[in-house]
Amino acid sequence: MISRRSFLIKGIELSSTIALASSYSGCSPKIDRRETLRGPNHTLGHKLRLGTFPKPTQVIKTEVAIVGGGVSGLAAARILKQRGIEFKLIELEGKVGGNSHSDKNSVSSYPLGAHYLPIPGTYDKDLLSFLEEENVITGYENGKPTYNEYYLCFDPKERLYINNHWQEGIIPVNGIDRKSTEDFDKFHELVKKFKALKGSDGKEAFCIPLHFCSDDPSIKKLDTITFEFFIQQHKLSSPFLLWYLNYCCADDFGGTISTISAWAGIHYFCSRKGSSSNAQPDAVLTWPEGNGWLVNKLMKYAVKETTTNSMVFQVSYENGKCIVDYFDAIKEESIRLVSEKVILATPQFINQRILSGTLERKIDYTQFSYAPWMVANITCSNHLEEKRGERLSWDNVIYGSKSLGYVNSNHQNIQLFSDRQVITYYLPLTGADSNVERKLSHQRSFKDWYELVIEDLKLPHPTIEQSIQEVDIWLWGHGMIRPSVNFISKTSLDASASIEQKIFFVHTDTFGISIFEQAFFVGTQTAKMITA
Amino acid sequence: MAAQNTHKSFQLLLLLSVFVVATCGLIYELVAGTLASYLLGDSVTQFSIIIGTYLFSMGIGSFFSRFFNTNLIRWFIQIEILVGLVGGFSSTILYLLFENAAYFKLILYLLVGLTGILVGLELPLLMRILKDRIEFSDLVSKIFTVDYIGALLASIIFPLVLIPYLGIMKTSLFFGLFNVLVAVFICFRFRSDIPGSRFIIIEGIVAIIFLVLGVIFSESLLRMAESMAYSDKIIYSKSSPYQRIIVTKNSEDIRLFLNGNLQFSSKDEYRYHEALVHPGMLNVANPKKILVLGGGDGLAVREVLKYPEIESITLVDLDPSIIELFKSNSLLSDLNKSSLFSKKLTVINQDAFVWIRKQTQLFDFVIIDFPDPSNYSLGKLYSLSFYKELKKIVNRKGCVVIQSTSPYFARKSYWIVNETLLKAGFNTLPYHCYLPSFGEWGFVLASPTAHPTTDIMPKIENLNFINRETFQQLVYFPPDMSRVPSKINTLNDQFLVQTFEKEWSHYTQQ
Repeated sequence: MISRRSFLIKGIELSSTIALASSYSGCSPKIDRRETLRGPNHTLGHKLRLGTFPKPTQVIKTEVAIVGGGVSGLAAARILKQRGIEFKLIELEGKVGGNSHSDKNSVSSYPLGAHYLPIPGTYDKDLLSFLEEENVITGYENGKPTYNEYYLCFDPKERLYINNHWQEGIIPVNGIDRKSTEDFDKFHELVKKFKALKGSDGKEAFCIPLHFCSDDPSIKKLDTITFEFFIQQHKLSSPFLLWYLNYCCADDFGGTISTISAWAGIHYFCSRKGSSSNAQPDAVLTWPEGNGWLVNKLMKYAVKETTTNSMVFQVSYENGKCIVDYFDAIKEESIRLVSEKVILATPQFINQRILSGTLERKIDYTQFSYAPWMVANITCSNHLEEKRGERLSWDNVIYGSKSLGYVNSNHQNIQLFSDRQVITYYLPLTGADSNVERKLSHQRSFKDWYELVIEDLKLPHPTIEQSIQEVDIWLWGHGMIRPSVNFISKTSLDASASIEQKIFFVHTDTFGISIFEQAFFVGTQTAKMITA
Repeated sequence: MAAQNTHKSFQLLLLLSVFVVATCGLIYELVAGTLASYLLGDSVTQFSIIIGTYLFSMGIGSFFSRFFNTNLIRWFIQIEILVGLVGGFSSTILYLLFENAAYFKLILYLLVGLTGILVGLELPLLMRILKDRIEFSDLVSKIFTVDYIGALLASIIFPLVLIPYLGIMKTSLFFGLFNVLVAVFICFRFRSDIPGSRFIIIEGIVAIIFLVLGVIFSESLLRMAESMAYSDKIIYSKSSPYQRIIVTKNSEDIRLFLNGNLQFSSKDEYRYHEALVHPGMLNVANPKKILVLGGGDGLAVREVLKYPEIESITLVDLDPSIIELFKSNSLLSDLNKSSLFSKKLTVINQDAFVWIRKQTQLFDFVIIDFPDPSNYSLGKLYSLSFYKELKKIVNRKGCVVIQSTSPYFARKSYWIVNETLLKAGFNTLPYHCYLPSFGEWGFVLASPTAHPTTDIMPKIENLNFINRETFQQLVYFPPDMSRVPSKINTLNDQFLVQTFEKEWSHYTQQ
């Protein structure tokens, strides 16, 4: 039986669907079009602010408590499971996955967040062995992994809509001036240089995960200036290049060149050092449901141990034991977990609340800024009307747009023809004050978002509206952490320090870069360390 | 007062017709220029020559206007009707003649010239009609003002409104109609001043009927123009969800076109299908289960059925309309000897890649007759992944044959297919044959563990092309088609599609 309250809590998706169907049907050209506006469960999240939870009625003992079922929490769970350590995983949402959430409809699976994984470097052993377990790596040739061809992003990969024409690749080529070409060349030279650069400690200057990066102060000092300042220092001013750099900053950080540090900006371009026997170093792995595919593989390690729809509201430490109190929204009761260790795979704006009054951390929470993201999954009938140039690719970017363009979720299908397709449109809200952006984005209705998306997509696809059958809009209030100046070199160091070797922080926002590899590495390493 | 009003409206109407003539005239010129760039390419040259021809013809028209001395207004209206007809139908005529006329350019410039001459006649005539009614300086100023405004209007609406919304054929017909309507209206309004006005009005109405019919049938005229691109009579055409199917016939042969690309000619298809089927069949010791991928025309199946010991044939073709066509049309089912009705045959209308991944049964011989890898979708069917799936469903000692485009026109592409099969773990035997209607065509015979050989012993008689001696020659590649080292084709790097595009562009670009 479903209680009234849990219906309300779970019903955020449902209620907005119904409300929209009634308020918006007048404007849409097709009455039977399915429209949804949803996002992470902020009803339950906001309860944390009010701090009114019932007293725990039950005490459960376990070895390790994992709070948060995103990629870092799941990666930790995988190791604990493999090592036979008893644990519990508490997840706020109805299902695990964090930023790699996905969903599906009658046409296809599709991502609601992260949608690809660049092939890792050979030094990322943990990730490689996971990929091997899941048959993403099918073997090795001369020490280089051979990737499953069905998961490597198919050709054609990227195209850019510029000057009323689709060109191949997303670096502008068509109709750009000579100065711009020179600036791009200069920038590529810089990338080459930093890619090869090693610090005085012999470690690579830029790589993934961040733990392998050099601590050489002469490199880390790039974290004290903005990326924009760095670009100006190198006298790069082409508007095409600046657009491209801003696009990339939005892609990985939900920021702009003026809001992120030069170190983080350079890291984006210089850290991918993939190695494979059957793919280029910059190849990516992708699935219709995006990184949701990887989450599905990871979650099998914590099926029995996971409790969903549950909000951890307090974490404390008493007499050598860790205490995690959570509210189970389905059972409507609070439960206490008593464990030896706690792995907090929750973002710092949550940690700030659940640790407040109980444990002290040397951390400046104001430095944590998260861009809101809007992800729209659009189901279209037939093929989109196309302007001239390159054909529909995996990644389709519109020059000058504020969005990241869209990804064809059906790109990895092997069949030749499909009568319907789902495209996933990404819009990070990159405004400097993310709190203002968040407030604004929560005020927008489905119709506001819809119009924003269509206005953008109409440029390359003038008649797209006629072919739309379903629009599923997902809003992330706190999408990705923004590595601003001094974040990675300072804030991150403070935030990642454990409390008494008992409570560990593994969420990627601790490190300033919200990517799968980082989450997987930290989750895995932390679990290994505490069970060593 | 009344007389003055008539006088005023007469003036206004004539100025309006100058405006219409100017607008329509420029539209015809733009239509001719656009069409010439579409059909002949090189837009700068085409536009430049057409504008020059048009203006020069207007000069000729102006010169000859001196020979018109009586009934000026009658002449004016008649010329206007004629301009409407010639200009209106110009694009239709050009479309229809493009594929057939050897003198297309000549006809193009004749039409442009004729329109120019007629338009060129109009202004001087009009000035002479009005010269006694309006002060000369006033007249010149008014006529040229209206003329140039008309030209501006035409040049703005043509690219922004007409081409995107009406298309080129309807645009010219529509303006032709407009032109004639104005002429008829003027004639009707001043019928008392014009001798024989009734006759002109009838003339105009006939012209209007023709133009209206043109507008109504412009779609089918366009299609007719398309059909003329095929030199022979079209006996069948259909757009399935997957492709446009056209079958043509002349006294000598039947041809199948998919999306405009020739698939076979009945005259020499035996060469292709014998070469496709028999070397592989004869390389398998005891073939029982045969799989045909693509090839919904039933022609490969026809060849397979020549072996009575065959137990079953599975045909996988995405498009049911092809199979339907080759079953129902008697000309075509004569050609495939009603192979598609065979009891041994099972037809499956599915995507080959999706289907093959689900199979667990094994086949003795697999015949792959897919369209050329001309785009990223089709390229998937030539990828390493596909060949790995293929290997799983072939008997260890069985064989596979793959049509692999032309080793002459697309030499690198051909050898990429061979290279990709090798990488998938097949032993291969590449060969090729000459098809009069296509040129040199290539195949690759492959087996998971056996080594395909030319040492074949045909078991059946009555083959017109393949025998032991022929096949031994087919595996020899002269230096201009011989093996070139190359990368392989994978889903994440479709090297074949990129190469194929480059290689064929040499032959398709004019």
